[in-house]
Amino acid sequence: MAGITKVYPGNVVANDGVTLEAEGGAIHAIVGENGAGKSTLMNVLYGVVRPDEGRIRLHGREADIRSPGDAIGYGIGMVTQHSSQIPALSVVDNILLPRESSRAGVLTRSRAIRELEAVADDLGVSVPWQSRAATLSVAALQKAEIVRALYRGARVLILDEPSASLAPQEAEALFGLLHRLADAGHTVILVTHRLQEVMDHASRVTVLRRGRNVAELPTTATSAGELSALMVGGGVTHGAGSLVADSAGPDTPSDAPRDPWSVIQPSPGAPSRRLPVLELEHVSADETADSRGVTDVTLEVLAGEIVGVAGIDGSGQRELCEVIVGLRRPKRGRVVINGRDNTSRPVSARLREGLGFCPEDRQREGLVLDFTLAENLLLGHQDDPRSGGGVFLRPDTMEAAASSAMKLMDVRAPSPHVAARALSGGNQQKLLLARALVGGPKLLVAMQPTRGLDIHATRSAYDVIATARAGGLGVLLFSLDLDEILAVANRIVVMYAGRVAGIVERAGADRNALGHMMTTGERPE
Amino acid sequence: MTRLVRRVLLSRQALGLAMAGAAAWVIIAMSRLSGGNSREALSAMLIGAFGDLPDAVRRAVTSGDLSIPNEALRALAKATPLLLSGLAVALAMRAGLFNIGAEGQLLVGAFAAAWAGAAWHGLPAGLHVAGSLAVGAAAGAAWAAVAGALKAWRGAHEVIVTIMLNYVAIQLTHYLVNGPARDPDSLAPATRVVLPTARLWAIEGGANFSTGFGLALAAAVGYHFLFRRLRLGFEIRAVGRNPQAARCAGIHVPRTMVTAMALSGALAGLAGAVEVLGVHRRFLDAFSPGYGFDQIAVALLGNLNPLGIVASACLFGGLGSGAVHMEAFTNTPRQIAGIIQAIAILVVAVRARRLFTARPRDPEGQVQ
Repeated sequence: MAGITKVYPGNVVANDGVTLEAEGGAIHAIVGENGAGKSTLMNVLYGVVRPDEGRIRLHGREADIRSPGDAIGYGIGMVTQHSSQIPALSVVDNILLPRESSRAGVLTRSRAIRELEAVADDLGVSVPWQSRAATLSVAALQKAEIVRALYRGARVLILDEPSASLAPQEAEALFGLLHRLADAGHTVILVTHRLQEVMDHASRVTVLRRGRNVAELPTTATSAGELSALMVGGGVTHGAGSLVADSAGPDTPSDAPRDPWSVIQPSPGAPSRRLPVLELEHVSADETADSRGVTDVTLEVLAGEIVGVAGIDGSGQRELCEVIVGLRRPKRGRVVINGRDNTSRPVSARLREGLGFCPEDRQREGLVLDFTLAENLLLGHQDDPRSGGGVFLRPDTMEAAASSAMKLMDVRAPSPHVAARALSGGNQQKLLLARALVGGPKLLVAMQPTRGLDIHATRSAYDVIATARAGGLGVLLFSLDLDEILAVANRIVVMYAGRVAGIVERAGADRNALGHMMTTGERPE
Repeated sequence: MTRLVRRVLLSRQALGLAMAGAAAWVIIAMSRLSGGNSREALSAMLIGAFGDLPDAVRRAVTSGDLSIPNEALRALAKATPLLLSGLAVALAMRAGLFNIGAEGQLLVGAFAAAWAGAAWHGLPAGLHVAGSLAVGAAAGAAWAAVAGALKAWRGAHEVIVTIMLNYVAIQLTHYLVNGPARDPDSLAPATRVVLPTARLWAIEGGANFSTGFGLALAAAVGYHFLFRRLRLGFEIRAVGRNPQAARCAGIHVPRTMVTAMALSGALAGLAGAVEVLGVHRRFLDAFSPGYGFDQIAVALLGNLNPLGIVASACLFGGLGSGAVHMEAFTNTPRQIAGIIQAIAILVVAVRARRLFTARPRDPEGQVQ
């Protein structure tokens, strides 16, 4: 890819003459801060976004990619951050959906399955093809998507943040698979925020910054610290070397410094005299068609502490979160926010009570993409005069509040009046966090608040949370990233199959023991 | 200001109208009926629609005569129900709801206003007018709220429900005006004439222009205010754009939907009430020539923007009478007006703008 330039409406320059060269038979990593243009570049390669300028060459030949269909035709496959499978259909139907394998209009599922099995066998993975997509774990779906891409003839495989939602053991298995693919001559392009993964698994790495190439290096000739410094740019390298190298190694003892989260080491001293800002008493919610229920959850978040909720994807975190926020009715139990029973009060009342909520899916649940940033920051605060809300809105106050919220979280945008759609994923996430922290909440309920944020943005996000915590904010943090939870939480609630498998003080937490609880629901002996 | 002008000129709406005008020009030129003189035919249509405006301006400048041509008044009178019900459709659309039922809401509102106007004796004029309008609006609101509530709590699609409620409204008013509510002294099926205290002030003569137009303009201002300055408008837009995010932000989505639908119905009901109190003075059976359907086109052509809706309502209001004038004087079929409307809407609907107006490149975005 040479000279790729893409400007989004509102003059947001996502790619500015970016060049990428990836060799066959190797894993090539792309790193960069939020909004550096990684996703745009990959979307250009996959034909989702048409570049304003630039050329793409594959195996030495010019490629004219105008749509994902073209990209597949050229042997490019993409595995996105979020699975694109339709939950109600079986895995095999999902795969056949865009390109039915049929004979005289009759689907030939069994033949397709045989072919898929053959691909999967070559890779040494197994996928339950006939199961409904909804019943598969994130890791299993990911495997299915990789097999799908290969089945469609992909020689170049793009993976966007593949390890973001995986348990440590699952991530190891994934990278083993990627290495086998590379050995078989495929090109693997890995977009990630986790620099340790890059160092461990990629052979070359391209660094993007603010839409431009900064460097393209073999990983043997660099270090995580150097990459991190390159990502932020000249001068801002304070301690960046140690910052990354220490993070996220699977065997790092839990008391080692863990940047990017070091700014928010759990507060010392017993918080016993502090008041609880959230109390859940024997909360249960029924299973529904699209989700599992939660069973008998009891927990407590005190003012000034961070409680992390760990668990593999689909263990009931989402449902629990919805019960706390008021989006889901519990069948039994009490939800007490800030000392007041909120079990049957609506979301708006809880928000007024001092709840800040950062939902999981920023585009579907968090933001109104067609709204301006100022309007998005008003959402959830529409009753609050300090944000410009009330029966009559006050645009001046809205704008001022928006500007200061954007400054707080370093949301990078030309003005509060651009549409949220024009922002990169990371900047959208920062916007969402800023909104949850506006107005001095007593309790922050955050689902994966740093998903899609790079190290530096994560760090500054926790900087802001740390400041708020010093003022008495209690945080309930749902995250699939165990390292994040281990680094910032005072206490860790492990969920398994809708129940609390255990609550562990951070001081006594052991990574492997937590992993065991997450996957089996039982405390290790 | 120049940006606004630019935006209007480069809009799909402007493009649609230009293409529609050009198409009409070509069609007339190719037809033998009118002798193929497009310029003559279309200027006859414009004069029929809005009067001889250049002449009116000349008179105003030379002799200070500020009278508005009768044709223009008629266009504004016709635009009044279109404007009100166009706002109704646009308001529901902002909430993500497609209110096809404005026709029914308009009929129900008209009937209710006719009843209030005829039945309430002894009220002072201002109060009687206001009360009758309010009753009409309330009836329309209630009619639409049914569809809103079914959508919000039971998931019934509002398009289906509002279409069905149209039939109910048409048949119900048809029955009432032919049965219990019929004025025995009237030859045609109609309710009793409303009392003088319930009438909107109107210009004498054939123009049918009443204070209803001012009322419709006020409604457009209110619409603007609702979406610019009121929390309710903000909540309606949030629900329309992303109901799930609205819910997470503590907005009561079902209640907001019903409120938006009721406000939409109130505007449509008001349109009916204005027609009764300002023009017909009574409820005539099947009096609406489909205002409740044309307004969907009005709302789309106006881009859901109050100023745009005012402009497109006036345009549609004029086209009808202009077409009649064109047919009488140049022998060009008046259906040309319908073709113009249809092409304009099509162009707006297919979002053709992107094909024709490229966004200028920012020089800083270029490769160095």
